[in-house]
Amino acid sequence: MIRYIGKRMLAIVPIVFIATLVTFALIHISPVDPAEAYLTAAHIYPTPELLEQKRQEFGLDRPILEQYLDTLGRIARFDFGRSYLTNRPVWEEVKMRLPATAELALCSILFSVLVSVPLGVLAAVYRKGWVDRLTRLISYFGASIPQFWLGYLLIFFFSVRLDLLPVEGRGGWENLVLPTLTLSLVLIALYTRLLRVSMSEQLEEIYVQYARTRGLPERSVVLKHALKVAMMPLITSMGMNMGRLLTGTIIVEQVFSWPGFGRYFVEAIFNRDIPVIQCYVFLAACLFIVCNLIVDLIQMYMDPRILAKGRTES
Amino acid sequence: MFNIQRRAAVLIGAILMLVALSACSGKEQPKAAAGSSAQEQASAKTITISWPRDIGTMNPHTYNPSQLFAQSMLYEPLVSYGKNGKLEPALAESWDISADGKTYTFHLRPNVKFSDGSEFNAAIVKKNFDAVLKHRDTHAWLGVVGVIDQTQAVDEHTFRLTLSEPYYPVLQDLSVVRPFRFLGEAGFPDDGDTAEGVKQAVGTGPWLLSEYKQDEYAIFKRNPNYWGKAPAIDQVTVKIIPDAETRVAAFEKGDLDLIYGEGVISLDAFQELQANDQYTSQLSDPVGTRSLLLNSSNPKLADIRVRTALHQGFNKEAMVEGITSGLEQPADSILSTNYPYTDVQLKPIEYDVAHSQALLDEAGWILPEGKAVREKDGQKLEFELIYDKTDPIQKAMAETIQAEWGGLGVQVNLTGLELTVQIKRLKANDFDLYFWYNYGAPYDPHSFVNVVASPGFGISETLSAIPMKKQLDKQIHEVLSSTDETKRKELYRSILETLQEQSAIVPLSYVKKTAVYQKKITQFEFPANRDENPFSGLKTQTP
Repeated sequence: MIRYIGKRMLAIVPIVFIATLVTFALIHISPVDPAEAYLTAAHIYPTPELLEQKRQEFGLDRPILEQYLDTLGRIARFDFGRSYLTNRPVWEEVKMRLPATAELALCSILFSVLVSVPLGVLAAVYRKGWVDRLTRLISYFGASIPQFWLGYLLIFFFSVRLDLLPVEGRGGWENLVLPTLTLSLVLIALYTRLLRVSMSEQLEEIYVQYARTRGLPERSVVLKHALKVAMMPLITSMGMNMGRLLTGTIIVEQVFSWPGFGRYFVEAIFNRDIPVIQCYVFLAACLFIVCNLIVDLIQMYMDPRILAKGRTES
Repeated sequence: MFNIQRRAAVLIGAILMLVALSACSGKEQPKAAAGSSAQEQASAKTITISWPRDIGTMNPHTYNPSQLFAQSMLYEPLVSYGKNGKLEPALAESWDISADGKTYTFHLRPNVKFSDGSEFNAAIVKKNFDAVLKHRDTHAWLGVVGVIDQTQAVDEHTFRLTLSEPYYPVLQDLSVVRPFRFLGEAGFPDDGDTAEGVKQAVGTGPWLLSEYKQDEYAIFKRNPNYWGKAPAIDQVTVKIIPDAETRVAAFEKGDLDLIYGEGVISLDAFQELQANDQYTSQLSDPVGTRSLLLNSSNPKLADIRVRTALHQGFNKEAMVEGITSGLEQPADSILSTNYPYTDVQLKPIEYDVAHSQALLDEAGWILPEGKAVREKDGQKLEFELIYDKTDPIQKAMAETIQAEWGGLGVQVNLTGLELTVQIKRLKANDFDLYFWYNYGAPYDPHSFVNVVASPGFGISETLSAIPMKKQLDKQIHEVLSSTDETKRKELYRSILETLQEQSAIVPLSYVKKTAVYQKKITQFEFPANRDENPFSGLKTQTP
């Protein structure tokens, strides 16, 4: 098991390597000169002499390969340089914004699981019943409503009209409700349908029939036996979504003035704040890998056959 | 199992009820609760506003990401810019200018203290000037930075600036929000170099920053040591709300008392709030002009007949009214008349399609039989118009102009660009038609004429092929160094007349600031300086 985790962690290295290579290449292909971007962001008029001076300072006059290796070396030491805009260490700025994003991401995942698991199970067990029809409706809306619009709608009803919840900002649990709902709807739509399909499949399986023949109560057949296996595709999907949520939910953070990572990144793009962009891509790559790893571990725990299969293959 | 379904049904039912309730009852009781929360706030004489971006570091000597309005709350200038460009004493009670225009002596206001209680005197003024001048490159955009030769603390309350050459807008340049404002001793880092940051935000202004959470909010309280008339309100809370629609929702809910700024809410939202009796809305005097540059360095646009034809060939009034619904005002001259020296009667270039067509014919651009675009020597009369693709007003105006000029037989190709790329092309003189804005008060008219004469900003390039460009540059140099008020007036008149006749810069509309506020605010005034905060002239109901 530990060997497996170790092996997977090692896989981070080449992926991060590729991710940094791609960002590095993109920044160099883009028509914007980092030296000029720096001066513009700092509101300094870019005279040719100043540009030359900054290029030297950033090492832009050195061979590309050397620059790239240097970038890699710094990333390995977790040194992402200073933001062009604020002149503060990028890592510090990012660290400050991560908790807000993580809070929202965890809440959304948790809430959507809490809602979609019962809904999905009920929809599968009572096919064509009213819960099934309801989940279909939710999925239809969840998949088609743009998130920013849903956010505005929720703000309009719950904050402006009913005055139940705050419009924006971060603070107590009240502030979490609307952004969480906004982010969750699309997840609930997805998870409920996923679970319904996989649950229906499992209920047809031989082991379920066998369990029934053994005289186990239906409730325990569904919840203890079938659900455990039926959750698999859901967990895979959750892992992917978690990565996406943790790298910042740009639109929702914007609509609800949530002081997170995504909003910061968007501003960095507009200002061509290259050190921030680099740090973001690096972190995003790491977060996706770690989330996927966690998903695999959970799946292994829930279905030991996967590990066994992996062993026979290796 | 049934049990579970029943429980789920109750839960789902409850959620549905809640949603249904919100949808129905919302309309019947229009914000009774919102009103009460607004009242609560009123009792402490505080107001809450929103701003799209974090206020940034409260350093008086640096730029982005610091926000001008916030810097202006804490830090004050020697001279302040009043209505119609009248210069008023601020931290300097009075000033003398030597006959040759090269020495400025400021008599500082006595008994002024910083918010931490320390003295404001000539020594700290000098220290601030020197900290700014250590980075002349950074501040070179401001004309006065290039001509300051010496700074001197003559005595406790006298400060002297010596210039290397006369430059008349010294006082206007010193009134801008950054960089020449004053940080107290306690704010300076050990090496005195404020470019790297400040230790504490200590200023002489009417406000001090009492609480701050990056990207979320900032709370300003009255400075107890303030020398001038204390503001009528006790506290200003600034909420950072990046999204314009969310800002409107927060205002409608009563969380915000004031929405203020340029382009901070959409046109639709402004009109909706304007029509609502519960709120008051106000438009400022023009703070800047939206113009269209016709780049004369393009051979087709080098002909004044073509430029005039284009200027006359679209219905400006209908376009501005139709697109901005009165939020902007059609502009007849490049600079509005509320700056110093710009109140000159310029002959407007009137809308006249027939004349436009005649001019184009005269210039040799003939519409061939059966074609839609004029031609001359086998070349089509065709231009590229660059606009900022995130600006809905620019886009709509670009489309209108394209359609109207299309009727004249002029083809306009629209290119929507990101702002940074757009500015890059402007500076590189790589454009035909370009939306351009002047700087506004207190920078104009001197900053405007300065870019007319200095290459590298795109304006001088736009004008490069007009016949009297050299003479224009000479006049500009003269006006900036002139010490004679009457001569300066004359020169400005002549410069502005030339620019008006040449039609290389086509004024489109005057941009205005908007303010929408709750009834609890009883008095609101726009600051004369475009970048200043509006809180000094603001009054609220007495609770």
